[in-house]
This record gives sequence, C-alpha cells and structure tokens, in this order.
Amino acid sequence: MTTELTLVTVTINGVETRVPEGELLIKAAQDEGTYIPRFCWHERMSPVGMCRMCLVEIETPRGPMMVTACTSSVADGMVVDTESEDVKKAQEAILEFLLANHPLDCPVCDKGGECPLQDQALAYGPGESRFVEIKRSFEKPIPISELVLLDRERCILCAQCTRFSDEISGDPLIEFQHRGNMTEVNTFPDLPFSSYFSGNTVQICPVGALTATPYRFRARPWDLQKVESSSLQDTAHPRIEIHASQNEVLRYIGVDNDATNHGWLSDKARFGFEYLRSDQRLTSPLVRKGGELVEVSWTEAIDTAANRLDLIKGEDGGAALAVIGGAQGTNEDAYSISKFARVALGSNNVDARLDDALASHFLSASVARATIADIDDADTVVLWAPDLKEEHPTLYLRVRRAAQELGATLVVIHPRATGLDDRASHKLTYRPGGGYELLDELANGDHPEVSQAFAAEKVVALVGIASHADGPQLAESVAALVRQKAGHAKLMPLNSRANTYGALDMGLAPDLLPGRVGLDTIGCANLAASWGDIPAVIGRDTRQILQGLDSGEVRGLVLVGADPINDLPEPSIAVDALDAAEYVIAIDLFLNDSNRNADVILPASGFSEKEGTVTNVEGRVQKVNQIRPAPGQARTDWAILDDIATRMGFSLGLASAEGITKEIAMVSPAYEDLTWDSLEWDHRDGIVVPIHGAQAINHIPVALQGSKAPTAQLTLHVARVMYDNGVRLQHSPSLHKLGPGAVAHLNPGDAPSIGARDGHTVKVVTTRGEGEFTCVLDEGTPTGVVYVPFNQQGASSLGSDPVVRVTTS
Amino acid sequence: MSRWSEGTQERARQIIARYPEKRSAVMPLLYLAMSEEGYLTGDGMEEVGRWCEITPAQVLSVASFYTMYKRERTGQYLVSCCTSITCMLLGGDDVLHAVEDESGVPHGETDDDGLLSVEHVECIGACGGAPAVQVNYELIEGVSPEKARQLIRWLESARPEVVNSDEMQALFGARRSFDWAISEVNGATGPYPAFQPLGTVGSEVAD
Amino acid sequence: MVDHPSDSHTIARYESTGGYAQGRRALGLTRDELVEEIKTSGLLGRGGAAFPAGLKWSLLAPARPAYLVVNADESEPGTFKDRQLLERDPHQMIEGIIITSIANEVHTAFVYIRGEYPKSARRVQAALDEAYAKGYLGSGIFGSDYDLEAIVHLGGGAYICGEETALINSLEGKRGEPRLKPPYFPAAKGLYMMPTIVNNVETLSNLPHILAMGAGEFAGLTGSADTGTFMMSLSGHVSRPGNYELAHGITWRELIYDIGGGIPDAKKLKAWIPGGASAPWFVPEEHLDLEITKDATAAAGSMLGSGAVIVMDEDTCMVRAAERVIRFFAHESCGQCTPCREGTTWLEMILRRIEEGQGRAVDLDLLVDVSDGISIGLAWPPKMTTICPLGPSAVSPIIALRDYFRDEVDSHVSNGGCPFAVKSGGAIPQTPRSLDGQNSSVEGRSSDPIASDLNRAAGEQE
Ligand SMILES: Cc1cc2nc3c(=O)[nH]c(=O)nc-3n(C[C@H](O)[C@H](O)[C@H](O)COP(=O)(O)O)c2cc1C
Ligand code: SF4
Ligand code: FES
Repeated sequence: MTTELTLVTVTINGVETRVPEGELLIKAAQDEGTYIPRFCWHERMSPVGMCRMCLVEIETPRGPMMVTACTSSVADGMVVDTESEDVKKAQEAILEFLLANHPLDCPVCDKGGECPLQDQALAYGPGESRFVEIKRSFEKPIPISELVLLDRERCILCAQCTRFSDEISGDPLIEFQHRGNMTEVNTFPDLPFSSYFSGNTVQICPVGALTATPYRFRARPWDLQKVESSSLQDTAHPRIEIHASQNEVLRYIGVDNDATNHGWLSDKARFGFEYLRSDQRLTSPLVRKGGELVEVSWTEAIDTAANRLDLIKGEDGGAALAVIGGAQGTNEDAYSISKFARVALGSNNVDARLDDALASHFLSASVARATIADIDDADTVVLWAPDLKEEHPTLYLRVRRAAQELGATLVVIHPRATGLDDRASHKLTYRPGGGYELLDELANGDHPEVSQAFAAEKVVALVGIASHADGPQLAESVAALVRQKAGHAKLMPLNSRANTYGALDMGLAPDLLPGRVGLDTIGCANLAASWGDIPAVIGRDTRQILQGLDSGEVRGLVLVGADPINDLPEPSIAVDALDAAEYVIAIDLFLNDSNRNADVILPASGFSEKEGTVTNVEGRVQKVNQIRPAPGQARTDWAILDDIATRMGFSLGLASAEGITKEIAMVSPAYEDLTWDSLEWDHRDGIVVPIHGAQAINHIPVALQGSKAPTAQLTLHVARVMYDNGVRLQHSPSLHKLGPGAVAHLNPGDAPSIGARDGHTVKVVTTRGEGEFTCVLDEGTPTGVVYVPFNQQGASSLGSDPVVRVTTS
Repeated sequence: MSRWSEGTQERARQIIARYPEKRSAVMPLLYLAMSEEGYLTGDGMEEVGRWCEITPAQVLSVASFYTMYKRERTGQYLVSCCTSITCMLLGGDDVLHAVEDESGVPHGETDDDGLLSVEHVECIGACGGAPAVQVNYELIEGVSPEKARQLIRWLESARPEVVNSDEMQALFGARRSFDWAISEVNGATGPYPAFQPLGTVGSEVAD
Repeated sequence: MVDHPSDSHTIARYESTGGYAQGRRALGLTRDELVEEIKTSGLLGRGGAAFPAGLKWSLLAPARPAYLVVNADESEPGTFKDRQLLERDPHQMIEGIIITSIANEVHTAFVYIRGEYPKSARRVQAALDEAYAKGYLGSGIFGSDYDLEAIVHLGGGAYICGEETALINSLEGKRGEPRLKPPYFPAAKGLYMMPTIVNNVETLSNLPHILAMGAGEFAGLTGSADTGTFMMSLSGHVSRPGNYELAHGITWRELIYDIGGGIPDAKKLKAWIPGGASAPWFVPEEHLDLEITKDATAAAGSMLGSGAVIVMDEDTCMVRAAERVIRFFAHESCGQCTPCREGTTWLEMILRRIEEGQGRAVDLDLLVDVSDGISIGLAWPPKMTTICPLGPSAVSPIIALRDYFRDEVDSHVSNGGCPFAVKSGGAIPQTPRSLDGQNSSVEGRSSDPIASDLNRAAGEQE
C-alpha cells in the first residue's frame, strides 16, 4: 500500500523540520538526527512507554508537558525540547532508578561492552548511585529453556522479550509476574520458554538478563570479527551478522531489513552454527581401499573419482551417471554442479530436490509470483502449505504480522493444527490424502467464506506440500484453483531446503538449465554456445536416479551435500539404491547414512567458509560471506568439481566464486546485472531476480482428479518440524536435543478405542513400514489422524502411505 | 479433559458466557480454581488457561499481579490485619502483633495444620472503624489487640464452617465505619471471597 | 449520620421513595437532553479526578458497542464511602447505571467491585437480581425495547485497578496496568478497544437525584462552583469518624471539629490528609480555615480527590505516617514505570531506615530528590514522569516532610530513632511474598531483620 506521506512541521530543540505525519516522535527525531535515549522502545513492536527514559518536553497551551517520545505521534506545529533542564533531571533520575537495583556484574556479563544501560549511564547518568539499601536479589541464573538463561536482577523490565513472544512470535510463554518492585519476567514453573524464536529475546534484551546458552561467557564483544551474510537454515534467507573469534563462529545476530526478516531469526537459523565447529567435520579426502576408507591426497582422490566416472561414461554414456544434491550450498556451487553434470558427465540426471518437492516446472513457473513484501500488502493470504511455523519460520512471522497487524484475511488449509490457526479468519482441516476432495468442494463453492476471501483485491497464496500423504501434485492443483478463483492472485510455491530456489535457477533439475531454461528452448541453444553440447533428453529426477541405481541403469552417483536416506519421504528407496550402487562419490561436511559406504569422500567447506550468492523463496539473490577458513583440507564444491572435470578432460573454467557469479550473469538472463559489488554496496538486502527474462514454463495443470478420500479408519500425516535429525542438526548439540523424537500424535477421542495413553508406547503400522512411537494426545490432531513428525531421532520411517493401524505394544 | 467437577465446569461455562471475550473470565475463574482446591495451584492455573485460551504463563502473570490469589497453601481462615495509614494511627500494628503472637503465625505465613494464615494488608475500606481485620474477607471493625486474641482463640476452638461478618463483629468488633444494621446470613467458607456467582449475574435471573 | 432503615438496600424500599422513576423517565429523553442535563448540573466525577460527568459523556466516540464500567474498586487509604453506597443503597447506583446507559446507548454495563468487598458484591448482585426480576434490567427494560445487561466483576486485590484504564485491562483478564493516554482514552478506546464510560459509584448515585430535582436545583445546593453534595470519609484521630454527605463550602475546621467532634483526648491537631492518601497534606497553621472546595484546595497545593480525610494528632510520628502512606503506593505500584516502581520503594526503604534509627543527615534531601525524579518539581498537580498519577501521588508525604516537618526528620536522625513513644516497635514492611508462592528469604528483598541482615552482608561482599 503506497499511501502518500503527509509531512508536518515540528520544531525539535529550536530547529524546524518536516517529518511524516503521525510518526512517533522518537523515530522522527532520530531520522532527523536527534537521538532520544530509550530502553523499552523497539521499532518493530508496539510502544509500551514503560522505561520512561525517552521523556521529552512538548509545549501545550497549558505550559510545557513531559511526554514519552516513544508513545507520542508528531503533529503539525509541535514544539519539542529533548534537552531541557526537566528532561535532563528526568533522564538522570531514571538511570539512577534503573541502576539502583541493577547488579554491577558487568565484567562477567555477556552484554558488557554492548549494553545500552552501560552506554546510557555514561551519557546521561548521574555518575554514582546514592542507593545504600539492599538490592533486589533473585536466584540466578535460571535456565528458562534449553537455549536461554535468565538473570532476573539484571532485568530492567523493558517488556521487549514479553512483547516479542506475545506480539511477534505468538507464543506468550515468558511474561511479567508479580507487580511493583517485585515485578520480574519469568516462565510458568516447569513450562519452559520453548519457543522456536526464543533467541530473538536474547538479541533484543538491552541488558544481560537473557543470555543464550550456546554463547554465554564465550567472548567479549570487542574481540569479535563480524561479517554480514544470509542464513541458509530458512528458505527466506534471513539476513544475519556472523560473529567469530579466533576462526570460530560464536553467534549469529539477526540483521533488521524490511525485505525478509525484520531482524528476527528462528532458533534454528540463529543457533544452527555449532555443526561448523564439530570435530566430526570431514577434513581430508578419503578413498575406499580394500573396504576401508583411507586418507589420501587431493590428487589421488580426484584421480580416483575422475577415472571411474570416465570409465562408466565411456562404457554406458552420461545416462549412467547422476548427481543428487546442491540445495544446501551457494548458487555458485549449484551452478558448478549443473555445469559439471551437463558438460563433464554429459548427463541431465541431476536433481537438487529429494523426492519431496514441488515439480521443477511449477517451482520455476513465472506466473504471478509473490514476493515476501506482497504478504504485507495482501487483503487475503491463503495458506495451503506446510505449517510455516515449522518449516518456513520467517514467512510465519510475516504472515502472522499481516493477519494480526496489517488486517489481512488469513485462510489456513491444513490437515491439523498449525502455528497460525490463532490468527486465521478461516481454517479448513481435511484428512491427509483428502486434499483433492476438499479442492473439489472449494471449486464448487462449498465454502462460501473462503470464496469470499478469494474475491478480495490482493490475494497471495502460499502453496506447498501440507502432508506427505497428498503428494507434490496437489499443490499445483491448488495453485490452479486459486488462479481460477482469483485471476490476479500472486503465488508463492514453497519448498523446504534452503537454497532449492537458487539450485533450480542454476539448473539443478533434470529438465532445467541455468536461468530456469527448458532443454528444448532457445535459451538452451544460447547456453550451449558457451558450455558446449548439452544432452538433449530430460534426465532423471531423484527418485528415478535412485531407481536407476537399484536396477543398474545408473552406475555412478555423485552426492553433493545430500542425505537421501534421511531426507526422502520413502527412505527405503534410497537405502536399496545406495546398497546397489556401483560407485558413489560424496562431497560433504560430514559422514552420513547415505555417504558412509561411498567410494570416494571429499571434504567440503561449509557456510561462513565460502563466499557466493544464494536465492530465496521469492527469488531474492543475496550475498553470503566468509569469515573463517574451512577446516583441514576442505574445499568448495565448485573447486572440487572443477578439478574432477579437468581430470576427465573438460575445462569448466571455474576459477573463483566471483568469477562464477559473473558467468551466471552472462549465461542466465534473469541474473543479468548481478554483481558482488552491487550486492555488497547498493543492495545489501539483495535483489529479486525477474522471472520474465527466463524462458519459464508457465503452464499449470488443473488437476482436479476427483475425490479419492482415504477410507482407512486412521490416516497417517507425516510432516516436517523445525528440529529433525538432519546431519547439520545432529552436529549442533544445542539444537539436536530439541526435536520431538519418535512421537505419534493422536486425538484424545481416538485414544480409548486404541487403548493409547499419553506418554505410552504405540506401534504404528503402514504398508510401507512400522515403528514404535511415544503417544502424544493432542487436540490439534483431528480424530482419525495419526501425526508423526518426519525424520526424528529414533523414529522408524513409515513412508507416506496413508493407511495405518495403531496398536498398543 | 478438565480436572474440575462437572458442577464447577458448568459454572465456568456460565461465567465465560457472561463476557464478550473469554479472557475476561480469568479473574472469576481464578477464584473458582481457588475454591476447588483451597488455594491456587499450578494445575488450577493451567485449567484456567485452557478455559480462557491463554497460556499458563499468561494466567500466572495475571494471578500474581493481584494479592488475593494465593498461590501457596493457605489456611482455612485467612486473617488479614489492616496496617494502612488510618488503622496504623489507631493501633492496627498492635492488632497485627497480637494476632501473630496469639496464633504463633508470623504475617505472610500459614500454620502447620493449615488452619490459620496471617497477613497484613493495605487499606480495606474500613477506616471509619479502624483498626479493622478481615477473616476470609469478612470484615470486623473496631478491633482491639485483646479482641484480636479472642478472635484467634475462637477460630481455633470453634472452627466455624462459615465465617460471618455480622457474627464476628458482634463478638470481636466495636466501632464501625457506618452502622449498616442489615444483618446478612452469608459468609465465607474458605480463604477466598464469598461471592457465589463469582463475577457474573445469577444465571437464573439473566437468562 | 442519617438514620437508615434496615431495608434500605431492597428494591421495595427504594421504590417506595420514588426509586426507578428517573430510570424509566430517561427512556423518553434523547441523548442530547440527558447529556445537557448532566452538564448543566455541574456534576463532577467523585472517583478522585473530579472530571465533569456530562462532558465525559459527550466525548464518547460514536463506535458501538459502547460499554459502561462502574468503578467500585474503592481502595485509596481513608476512603470508604463507596462501600456504604454499595451496601446500603445499591439501587440508587443501579438507577444511575440505567440512566447512563440510556444516555450513551450502552447495552452492557460492568460493575467492578474490589475483591475485598464481598459483602458489597453480594448486595449489588442481590439488588441486580431484584432489578432483573422486575424487568428494569435485561431485555426490554421497563417494557421498552431497550436491552441492558449489568454484570458484577470482582477485583483481585490491586488498588491500581481503580485507575480507569488499569480497571479496563483487569476486566479484560489482564494485569491491572494503566494504559497509555494517548491513545487509550476510555471514551475512544476502552473496554475491548470500544468506547467506554467509566464512572465512580458515587457519581452514578447522584444521577437519579439530578433528574428528579432538576439540574438547576442540584447545582444550587451549594454556593460554590462545586455543585451538589458529596461524600467525605472522615477517619483517624477524630472523635466521630464516618461518612458525611456535605455541601461544598464549609471549612476544614468545621469538618474536623464540629462534624468530626474534634481530636480525642483534647489533643492538638498536627496534620490531615485532605483528599485520600494521594493528596498533599494540610497543617492547621495554614489550612484550617480554608473552604472545602475543589478550587480552594487546589490553590493550596492539594486536592479533594476521593474525599477521604485522615486526621493526625500531635503525637503522630510524621516519618512513620509518611512511611505508611508511601508503603501503600509502593505496594500498589503496577511496576510498569521505572520511577514509580523503583522510586516509591526506595522512598519507603529510606523512611523505614530513618524510623528504625539509621537515618543520615543527607536523607531528607535524598528523599526530596528521589521524589523529584517521580514528580518533577514536587508540586501538585504533579509534573509526572510516569504513565499514571500513582507514582507522583506517592510523594505527597515527602512534600509535607520537606515543608512542615523537617525538624521531625532531623530529630529521628539525631535521636538515633523515633522520638515518639510507639507501642508496636519497628515499621511493618510490605507483605513478603510467601503467601503468594514466593519464599521471601530466598528471593526478594525482605526487611525482616534477620533476612535483611543476611542480605546486607551479601550486599557488602559484592
Ligand atoms: C491510582 C488511581 C487510583 C484510582 N482509584 C479509583 C477508585 O478506587 N475509585 C474510583 O472511582 N476512581 C479511582 N480513580 C479515578 C479513575 O481513574 C477515574 O477517574 C474515575 O473512576 C472516573 O469516574 P468519575 O468521573 O465518576 O470520578 C483512580 C485513579 C488513579 C490514578
Ligand atoms: S505510575 Fe506506577 S502505578 Fe502508574 S502506571 Fe506507572 S508504575 Fe504503574
Ligand atoms: S523508550 Fe519510551 S518509555 Fe521506554
């Protein structure tokens, strides 16, 4: 909404300025160069006016009046004094009051050196305290969650943490308790602050009251090296600042930008760096000799890998080779994989998605794509997608804000409770696997309130795979329906794994080339001009690659940062395939279930150890940066692939990450003007790459397949949650323990017939697998549904077959 | 999955129905929770949270703001001595000390048998009859230290099921703020205010 | 005191003296007529702020539903007038609710009664039940098509909920924290963010009489600009404490000596609080012959507030009295504002220290300076550094110590303790939180001598 800003004239300390009408005085003054001290005000949250530090004097017909600048809106003709005698008196008094009960443990406080209380005491304070009474004391520090510690006597009661968890993240688990001088923040006893966003409260706490377990006592702020980057643990790529000391990453801080995250991070994105310093990292090349993995030199490892790939290619052609992976790295890595597969291997058997994703043609369709900013403007937001709170935390916060603050009508369609239900105007719950049935109903106008929501002017639909039982095709049909009902609707197809969009842009799909170019298009011909021959037939996707390995049609596999055994909805396919595979080369940070038996294992550099670009869910390209060297002999994916290609007799010409970005800009029209320079200086928030430049496939099939609602008594709903058993989380000790583990949720109404009880073990059987789970009785799971979080420690895989039997063991 | 009796649940439903928004029922429901268990337990707060659809932390945040929601085991009789300005001027501190001494319970505490809790409170609106004492919020005005001792002894020996303001006033009180002369049979049965509809219009009338 | 019949709280008695006639009549009047009538009457709010009642009504924003909230949270030390109105004359207030609701197109009224007044709540509930039974409340009141629900809501023990926006928060099931004004003026954004009228019990109780006698007659009851009669709660060292309904304009001397019967035991008057614990104190030398009107009291630097007069005789220790009043505000501070939360407790601690014999020569200046940080310039009405007037109210006793009782503070310091014979030993601090589920010896700050010594030792080690 582009409303015209009306300017009004205000006089601040004798100087007249023009500021936007209605803006808060504290902000207007700041933009105009006058800093008014404050503790409780936060630009992204509603003002509470509690700390009283921002008191200023304004003139009124009844004489000067003290008001808080954080709660007063500017009005035409307002005359403000921010440094009168009375204002100074008030500022001094408030600092003295705040310090009266504040412990002087700055030397051991994490916040020491970056503490607004320290800074403002120096700038506006009275020098020394006249408080000789006994200070308030509390037991300290108390862990209020696995990640956050609370020192109550340091708290200055600014309500930043309580407001954040109530207003922004929507889980009010930390609250003021008691009143008056006894007021403190705390959780309910034995009910931890287990919010997916708890780390933000540590970041915004102006003192050292809330500290993070993974960081506490690890560094002093003045020792830190800092670099900006974008997190790859969230599909929106929230902007972060990486802080490191002595080559060790110590923390991530959310950077406030309008484009993506407003400064907020999920705990996964904030604390998911510990794996980088794990001593399990691969640090030298390994080659299997006589059944054992042996450390070898890079030359030997590259030779071994290249020779075998050459051999297979010579015998059976490129079709017998394949690459899986590339969604976790940079665009430059992805581009190198894409080029390596097409040019060196001569194969289109390449896929960054792990059989759990939307179709590549859908993900790269150019029809009316929504940006994150479009969510702010929307009149209606339709969400038929994974639970955003679990899988797309940044989008979750944005949609929550749109519904709560910006007046959007929110329609949530999902098989069970989601994190946004409390903000939804309309919620439709359907049986997992019954998506098409509901789609038919919607098409027939059976849910008039939803039809009405579609009729709004600005509609944004976020579509993705809400349940594995529905399969990836449903989302396309949903998109088609949305476009049928609301022709002008904008779509945001959602996919898990951080840089899937970048990977697809780089052609990491069997039917796409860099620039989202189809194989039979003019774009392909253009690319061939610089790459050389590109195989013409559409390659295999991940599932087909794995099936090919099993049948022997595919003989050699390169895995780049991928663990299909743990990531595939039907892991048995991957297990069988990797068992049968003739030759596997893995490029990775860690050994995992999928690469453990590989023939060659090459250590790769990880996030914060390399530079490059990444592309988020809306097509925004941002720069990621390096702050530390990779451990041991680890190298970037692109350098490794370039070497292998060279040994195979192909020159990929990949010499530096920046060089690759230039090449991408050259060959891919969408990335045309993109340079590191512009991303570092003019566009720190990144640039949304245009889709129109690409020869995109923009046909979305309408696939109202008629209803095939599941008939079984109980239906399985498998969905990802924030903390799973992924390899990076496995090696991040602070987060790894936070996953729910092997649990199966049942509605309390279903419990008696099964004989299940909360906390007891139940056995869940599907036609694809069975396993034992701890039973959780949960009103959020509808009757007739068994909900099992995907890929959990200790959990057996059940596939996505909807028909289940549940028994007590 | 309420742990409350069906009767209490029905009351909870009636209370909630009185308000335009569920959360408004928090305070009456906290009293309801107290009357179930004698004081406000963690379970009680969680239950209130479920009824009002807010988190237990939010319930605690509200409950701990107010002085009348006792979150620790409280005696059958809660003796509240006013020591605010007017009562202090007229000997309220002495009354408190007499109560503490006679009962052996320091203010802010409860005896081991769970019979008596003693507290001192700020003004309870009985300044015209200061010093004033409440037992389970039932008022006695014009209390002397000696009468206060008698009151404690009486509570300990008579152990009335229901404490009634008029009855105690006659036995242990003297001057009143105003002479209401209207006797009332109601009285409190526990350390929470005796107001049966608990914040709502009597349902039989309003419906 | 007027002799009340023992059934004054029943609807039968109320109607026998003309009750509910005005409520019925109001249905036939327009909003404008009603607002105009109350404006003309000059009725000022009786909750403490003395805001013109008719003006408040006229400011109500047009959005609907609108709500009426009756402020029956009376908790200010010295004040007990609303309790009498609630227990003895509930129907009078209910008729006031009916008139106010009709005038302001309100269909839901809440009566917020402090939790420590269960008897008042029972009486009001019983009276409401009677009114419902007669069809004066509920759907189609007095046979019209006007619906009106009235709901009793019991407080939970917090003086600050008397502040109208804190009361609204409390009614919404939240902590009783005052809201920011602007933007949350109840008349614009009140209960559930809808337009809301908040009026005191006594204010509403006046309405039937204003309609019955006519605004002009009501205004003429007194010779002063303060119209009508008002209730004063007289307490402390007077021979005849109690509630008195008075016409404005008599002097303090008349109130304390003629009506109140003077100071018991023929002692001398030392000071009195003229308008509830919030009000700056008066002393006989300067104020005894002032008229009791809003303007005269304000001109002398104080206010009539909630109409509570607390009288202190010559043997009263002013340090102790100040400590007791400030302890109240510290205990009742909601805790939002830094100056109120930290400042009031600091003042309380300093005063207790002086009373207990550990005063220092610098302490009076410190008290004044700390107060200055809560209420800049230390005057009345205050230049507040806070959201609501509670914090600034707390410093009223310090103004008295500074202006009239400096020597008394000094003698505490030189004497090494309180020079007055006090029977009960040390001052009593705020209730430790043990009954509220917190163990005061582990957490919090206790002035229980043993615990505080331990704390002090710990503090010195730091
Ligand atoms: C700290 C504080 C406490 C208050 N307590 C009460 C109270 O107990 N009863 C009351 O009627 N008004 C009280 N008020 C005044 C109310 O905020 C409000 O002005 C009043 O209820 C309006 O009603 P009126 O216009 O009829 O007086 C208090 C105000 C403050 C600042
Ligand atoms: S002045 Fe005191 S009571 Fe009033 S809002 Fe501020 S902290 Fe709360
Ligand atoms: S910043 Fe304005 S009151 Fe805290």
